[in-house]
Parts: sequence; C-alpha cells; structure tokens
Amino acid sequence: MPESIPATLIIDTLKDTFREARAALAAEVAEPPKHGHLGWILSVPDTHQKTVLAALDKEEQIRVLTCATEDEATTIAAGLHIGGEPCVLMIQHAGLYASVNTLRGVAMDGQIPLFYMIGLLSREKDKQPRESRHSMVRYCEPLLDTFGVPHARLEGPDDVHLIPEYYRLSLARKGPAAVLVGLETI
Amino acid sequence: MAPDVKPMKPEEILQIIHAQRGSAICVPTMTTSPHWRTIAPDDLSVTCVGFMGGASSLGLGLALAQPDRRVLVLDGDGSLLMQLGSLATVAGAAPRNLVHFLFKNGVYHTSGAQGIPGGLTVDFVAMAKGAGYRTARSIHDIEDFKHRLPELLKAEGPVFVELHTGLSEQTPMTAGGGVPFPRQVTDLRAKLLRPRARA
Ligand SMILES: Cc1ncc(C[n+]2csc(CCOP(=O)(O)OP(=O)(O)O)c2C)c(N)n1
Ligand SMILES: [Mg+2]
Repeated sequence: MPESIPATLIIDTLKDTFREARAALAAEVAEPPKHGHLGWILSVPDTHQKTVLAALDKEEQIRVLTCATEDEATTIAAGLHIGGEPCVLMIQHAGLYASVNTLRGVAMDGQIPLFYMIGLLSREKDKQPRESRHSMVRYCEPLLDTFGVPHARLEGPDDVHLIPEYYRLSLARKGPAAVLVGLETI
Repeated sequence: MAPDVKPMKPEEILQIIHAQRGSAICVPTMTTSPHWRTIAPDDLSVTCVGFMGGASSLGLGLALAQPDRRVLVLDGDGSLLMQLGSLATVAGAAPRNLVHFLFKNGVYHTSGAQGIPGGLTVDFVAMAKGAGYRTARSIHDIEDFKHRLPELLKAEGPVFVELHTGLSEQTPMTAGGGVPFPRQVTDLRAKLLRPRARA
C-alpha cells in the first residue's frame, strides 16, 4: 500500500539534490552563479504537496516562486537553467495538462533538463493511477509516456531517492523527467 | 489616445536597443527575432520560438539567475496576451535587472496580421502598472525612445515599455532559418557560465 511522505523528508532530499547540482556545475564551469540559496522551487500550488509548500515558506535556503501558470513555471525554469541555477517544478497533474505545449516547446525541443514533481491529487490509495475513477489521475502517466518523459512514482518515504535520481536523469538526457507524488504529503 | 505620430519602425527600435544594450541578455520573439539576429548575430541572446508567450518568463528566469546582468525582453502584443499572468509573476518576483519591451502593433503579424483581441485599444501600460511593475510607460516617437532609453536601461526593474510600432518587414515565417533553439540555449549558457575545457 502507498504511504504519505513527510514534508521534511522531501525538503531535506531537495536540499541534497540542489547541493549536488551546484557542486556538479562548479566542477563543470568557470563562472557558476553565486547565490545565498541552494535552488528554486517553481510552483503553481499543488493541493497534494501543500504541506511541503507550507514548510518551504519557512525555508531560507530554498527560494519558492509562485507562478500564475505552469507555462510560466516551465519557461522560467528554462531561463534559470541557462543562467546556471538548479530548480524543481512543483505542480499537480492538472497543471501538466495545462502546459503540455510548453513542455514540448521548451523542455523537449529546447533539450532543457527540467525536473517535475507532480502531485496525483485524488489518487485512490488502493488503485493504480491508470485505474482511477478520476480522469485527472488516470491520464497523467499515459500522457508522460506519449511525450516520452521518463517518470517514477513516490509511493512512500522509501522512494525519495527517486528525487535525486530523476533530477540527474533530466540532466543526463537533456530533457524533462518527472516523479509523481502518489499520496498527499504530510 | 495615441498622439498623431507615425508608428515607429521596429527595425529602428531594435537598432537603437542594440547600440545601447551593453552586455545585456536579450530575449526576442516573433517579429523582433529575424531583424535582431541580423544586427546581433552572435551575442547574448536567446529567442523565444515554439512556445508563444514565453519571452517574459524566459527573461525572468535569466534575470533571477544572473542578477548582475540586465535582461531585455522584446515581446509581441499577441504573445503577451497569451500569457498575461506573467505580468504578475514578473512583478511578484521583482527582478531589478529586467526591462520588458512590448512591440505593440495591434496584430498577430507573424501568423498573417489578424487583429489581436481589443486591437490597439488594449492598454498594456495600465496592466503592467496594475500588476506591480516598478515603472511602466508607452512611447510613440523614435526620437523620444532614443532619448529615454539610457534612463530606462538603468532604472530599477521590473520596467515595462510599450512601444507603438508599425509592422516589421520580416516575420519568422518570411525570414525562415535562424539558429535552432536548443543550440541557442547551449550557446548562451556557455557564454554565461564558461565551461571549463575538458582535460
Ligand atoms: C500556442 C500557439 N497558438 C497559436 C500560434 C500561432 N501563432 C504563431 S505566431 C502568432 C502571432 C504572434 O503575434 P505577436 O505576439 O503579436 O507578434 P508579432 O507577430 O505581431 O510580432 C500566432 C498566433 C502559436 N505559435 N502558438
Ligand atoms: Mg503583434
């Protein structure tokens, strides 16, 4: 059975992921940007990850930018990447559907590493998402498959290692990669 | 209403921006892009192409990553309407180094010059001010633009400038070509971050 993941565990994992990204960039380039923070979360608030967003409010090392649309979040992430800043898109499935043209035009055609954390709001605990009663849960993985975006599901605290793994995967394949948050975070 | 002057030529505006931009990163889109690449072929630019409306967000990401550089967005009016919420997102992030130029021609020139919703009556300056840009103004006359630009490029951002223009000679459809977007991304990233030579 899937389990909820505590916000603090996700945030600690994100910090480690950002630290690793900065260290890798510093080894690769002569002029990495110098900032006081570790990285960016670009968010259009996801109900499913709201405990993470609430905890991030108190975090000084991670900057959160709330965007009006997921199109903006995706394109801002591209600008941050070009400028050398690590970032994570934190959205929900509906936001993925709302921004597929930008996913295609920016992340895929632009060959830009973008890492998504996508909340599967309304996902039933005892069902595979593809069997959900809710279209917004059901279509998320098939849509990512259609676009060739690699994805994995966070089904409990033991799965948070997938966050740095899929972040690295987005860098390695120069394109989007996503983890789906199976249950509401706590 | 607009004063009784001829609309500015986009090509002249771009020449003036190019002459004064210094080391600013530029983000052209739609009809600003073909002429921009003829006058600034190998510089700190990245074109918003293939994701209509994204120029301001691309510029915002760059401005936040590189706060010591100016970022100049060269936007289209139809494009901005497509992602109008980006005005609030830019204003909320409040990048001091971002200048957002809007080439207001009243039409979707690139797709065949169909009128944009509301045509020339849409007041983008009021929208930018309402969203919270630090400065927002419209300019109708090329001499006035030339005169004001140094101050606009120095002002604390986000700055919004609505430029009343006629139609450009070329569009991305008539001009064709250009460096593919992923190549522009890697080139600009390399210029900004300077990859170390591999041993
Ligand atoms: C999502 C999306 N819808 C429609 C189009 C078709 N389209 C291509 S260019 C363009 C017009 C752009 O107009 P504007 O931003 O005003 O720039 P201009 O060409 O006038 O400089 C449109 C509608 C598109 N590229 N993407
Ligand atoms: Mg136009």
